[in-house]
Amino acid sequence: MTTNLAPTLVHDRETTSPALEAKQVRRRFGTVRAVDGVDLRIERGEVVALLGPNGAGKTTLLDMALGFTAPSSGTISILGQDPARAVGLGRASAVLQIGGLLDDLTVGETLKMVSACHLNPLPIDTVLARSGLEPLAKRKVVKCSGGERQRLRFALAILTEPELLFLDEPTAGMDVRARAEFWATMHAEAERGRTIVFATHYLTEAADFADRIVLMRAGRIHAEGTVAELTASRTRTLTCTWTAAEVTATDPASAVPGDAESFARDHDAQVDSVQGAEVTFTTADSDALAAAILTTGRGHDLRIARATLDDVFLELTEQEQS
Amino acid sequence: MTTVTATPAGPRTRSGSARLTGFIGWDFLRTVRMFSATFFIVFLPLGMYLIFGATSGLSDEPLGSGNGSAFVMTSMAVYGAITAMTAVSGSAAVERQQGWGRQLGLTALSNGMYMAGKTAVGLLMSVTPVIAVFAVGALTGAEFDAGWTWPATGALVLLGSLPFALYGLASALLFRSEAAVSVASGLLVLLAFFGNLFMPLQGTMLEIARFTPVYGATTLARWPQMEGHSIPMGAEVPAPDSLAAVIMNVVVWTVVFAAICWLAARRRTAR
Repeated sequence: MTTNLAPTLVHDRETTSPALEAKQVRRRFGTVRAVDGVDLRIERGEVVALLGPNGAGKTTLLDMALGFTAPSSGTISILGQDPARAVGLGRASAVLQIGGLLDDLTVGETLKMVSACHLNPLPIDTVLARSGLEPLAKRKVVKCSGGERQRLRFALAILTEPELLFLDEPTAGMDVRARAEFWATMHAEAERGRTIVFATHYLTEAADFADRIVLMRAGRIHAEGTVAELTASRTRTLTCTWTAAEVTATDPASAVPGDAESFARDHDAQVDSVQGAEVTFTTADSDALAAAILTTGRGHDLRIARATLDDVFLELTEQEQS
Repeated sequence: MTTVTATPAGPRTRSGSARLTGFIGWDFLRTVRMFSATFFIVFLPLGMYLIFGATSGLSDEPLGSGNGSAFVMTSMAVYGAITAMTAVSGSAAVERQQGWGRQLGLTALSNGMYMAGKTAVGLLMSVTPVIAVFAVGALTGAEFDAGWTWPATGALVLLGSLPFALYGLASALLFRSEAAVSVASGLLVLLAFFGNLFMPLQGTMLEIARFTPVYGATTLARWPQMEGHSIPMGAEVPAPDSLAAVIMNVVVWTVVFAAICWLAARRRTAR
């Protein structure tokens, strides 16, 4: 995908107010609380991932940030303005999830038609070049692949050179190559100073691309921070080969679990799994557990792993189900 | 973050009317370009007029305040206009359900402007067959006794076609696909037969026809020429319709179609 790197964004408006500010935002649909008290502040130039299982309230939050839905209570503003107003002025835009295109138009016509509805759009040729759609301009939308359609949605979103860009599951349905190309384009956009907020449930995308991750669950913000911050406070896992003398004397298959269990109880840890003589503990203080194992000589070949974003996310979805 | 002012905003800013006409222009082009729609809306009525209406037998035959060719011309204009209304409103609803409304929601085109634009496209598409059939009619022997009958008939054709915007919308809301809208447009052929549009009905058939939706639109459009009289097919001359009964037909069907739309929309949100 070509990335035509002009160094600037075209806006002469104030740039001090945050890109997004939500205060105690709630949104109910009947008895369902889709968003249930969200406080969130996103600064200009940040790249933020909204991560969470299906039904966590990501899409509803984005809908409110775009002015499609009004909050049941609380306030939300983008770029210091009412969302619908900022979107109408072309200061904020979005790459929408699935649909949203007309099959009978060509790629170029789609851009021209949507452009006709904007106050002050960029020239179509500029947008075609920046989104890498030039060779596809005359192709009918119905004949475009999923990745090509997504590129068109992206092109539509940058028609007004928005300061703030929302992406809802932007790479859903793309193959690996299209996904890599898409994020390369996004990197270029972020470098131009655009604020980017994207909802996803691909953990690697959130980890690789976002400056900050906002974890949502059941309509609330569960945790937020960088990948390091989110995983730092979590439990670690410690795996070792269990070699206690009393265990090796008898049948190891039946003796190991019991012995490891009681050891874990004494040292503030839990046994996660036992495979033969391989025992995996989970604990908040892996240093203390390792010291205890080594000094008592209960195990060797210690391997300690910090929680990954996957673990944090899994923990989140498990809480969801319980 | 480097945010520097580069090109000046402002002078190129599009006004509301420029955006609305831009949207209408593109949307009208799209609709015209869809051959299946244009075929039923313009070419089918035009073809049928030429085959059945533009014959010397009918143009020599006085009928009401005009001639037989004018009668067929009005009928075909009604068929084209109601098909246009059904197709445009139905596909508008399908487009919105498929997310096109959200895409336009990200522009400076307000919801009100979208509605106004789609209404304009519907009317443009309905006017097209009226103008086409009337123009060909005027050239091939269709005559009204008074000149004012031409614009009056044209206006009544459009008026009677309005409830069919709700008919198209109802089909889209109930079945949520472009195919459903095509079926609804196709069903109009059947409704047109039972609405006394293509050929004069008689007896029991005519009595039933009086209660069908196309009958109201057709009889209303023919009013300046026929004033409620039908063409007698057998020995007995059918009783003429009163204007009140014709208006009642149009109003009742408008309410029925609106009620179906309302129920279908409510069922969708209740899911």
